[in-house]
Amino acid sequence: MKSGKIFQISLILFIVTTLTIVVGIVISLINSSYPIFLRHGFGFISRSVWNPIEEDYGILPPLLGTLITSAIAISIATPLAISLAIFASEIIPSRLRSFVNNVSDLMASLPSVIYGLWGLYVLAPILHKYVMLPLHNYLGFIPLFSVKPTPTNLFTAGVLLSIMIIPFASSIIREAYTAIPYNLKEAAYSLGMTRWEVVKTMLGYIRSAIFAGVFLALGRAMGETMAVAMVVGNIMNIPKSIFDMGYTISSLIANQFPNAEAYKYMVPALYGGALILFTVGLIINLIGLHLVRRVMVKS
Amino acid sequence: MSLVEISNLNAWYGDKHVLKNINLEIPRNIIFAIMGPSGCGKSTLLRAMNRLLELNPNAKVSGQVKIDGIDVYSDKIDITWVRRQFGMVFQIPNPFPHLSIYDNVAIGPRMNGLVKNKSELDQLVKWALEKAYLWDEVKNDLKKPASMLSGGQQQRLCIARALALKPKIILMDEPTANLDPVAASKIEELMLELKEDYTIVIVTHNPQQAARVSDYVAFLYMGELIEVGETSQVFTRPVHKLTERYVVGKIG
Repeated sequence: MKSGKIFQISLILFIVTTLTIVVGIVISLINSSYPIFLRHGFGFISRSVWNPIEEDYGILPPLLGTLITSAIAISIATPLAISLAIFASEIIPSRLRSFVNNVSDLMASLPSVIYGLWGLYVLAPILHKYVMLPLHNYLGFIPLFSVKPTPTNLFTAGVLLSIMIIPFASSIIREAYTAIPYNLKEAAYSLGMTRWEVVKTMLGYIRSAIFAGVFLALGRAMGETMAVAMVVGNIMNIPKSIFDMGYTISSLIANQFPNAEAYKYMVPALYGGALILFTVGLIINLIGLHLVRRVMVKS
Repeated sequence: MSLVEISNLNAWYGDKHVLKNINLEIPRNIIFAIMGPSGCGKSTLLRAMNRLLELNPNAKVSGQVKIDGIDVYSDKIDITWVRRQFGMVFQIPNPFPHLSIYDNVAIGPRMNGLVKNKSELDQLVKWALEKAYLWDEVKNDLKKPASMLSGGQQQRLCIARALALKPKIILMDEPTANLDPVAASKIEELMLELKEDYTIVIVTHNPQQAARVSDYVAFLYMGELIEVGETSQVFTRPVHKLTERYVVGKIG
């Protein structure tokens, strides 16, 4: 047999194995979670209850917590990731460029438990004293800030998540920015644009990469477990403000799995949470792909 | 007074001396060709005029370039004003592919605040596209992306984009080098038409093109200005031996 043929066959083998594993995971998610859906139906998603004694589970709070912390993270991270990418590719002298990029890439690869530890002991007290308390004291009439904050809550988790995903989104945007053809920049400058106007025009040119970076980062934020579990508060209630302690689906699973097997329906409930997280992630990704494609077709 | 007066212009990339003491005057309403073999400094000379050269962090310039008597290298000058005086068309057609045909033309006037309202902008865009002989081909597709146009159309769109800023002079850096012969000859016709209202400087490595379109021609060789004069003169009775060898195709 020719080596090309062997290569081709082994390639197909690897692809099939990978696909089988992915499909297998989805099947086991559905298979292991259906008892909880049989028991509670839609109530599993729409109610707020976690009562193992009576085997009653409804995961609305962690679902909301996941959505809220991700939304906070993405709204902080998007402008900062774009700024960092521009800063790294336009503003700083080329001698420092690789240093800044390396630091940023290192940040993207730090284990999340390190972020969690730092978030718990450094970030949370600072945010509490200088951001959350002032916001609550002066703008507490806005429902968003109405609850008196403790250091660990949904907001802290969102900010910590944003710090974790900035380097991630930024490196995708930066790659695209540095790949912009030189003659497009020349064209922009030749039209009498200022540096800032050129940057603005070029950001328009790479907007599909910006979308891609932001949505990939969003996917990461939604799935992030350890760091969030350490700062989110881990309390099962429907949040009334972003300063409420809460849960996310992934932190719920991480916190509850050790004693889950003692109860008949807790394992299916955790699988149910996983299935919902998977589905929400899938929907976000599909929306992201759709947006990217629409932008691509336009240009 | 000539439109552009260049005196004692020198340029370097790092230690490499790429323009050596250039002195040149460009009269009004003519096509002025700068010809010479690859790497002789033609494109650099063009970019030294509108200060695009400064985008290259290794580039250094000394000397004077005056447009209508105003030194573009003066300390007090606004560099965006300088660049607006020189419309520029590049070797590879480079419309902004993510913008519509309309927006490609409109972006310059919009960013520079040259129009007061939408209808004024509409008029300006139409005028520029008509001037660039593109209006009839695109008037129903103004909202479509510029990337759907053919190479020749894209280059004419770039000419319209430059015209929309109402520049005093148009710089063309080998504008037909990447086009097929039909599209290239359209651009050449367009240049002859634009000469009525504009001054055009075209850089070309093709002496035949210089002979076809230009009124004046300068021959640049290894960063030095070898000869400059009326095109008919330079091509029939070149003063310098190097020029003679270049126009008959022995160098370059």
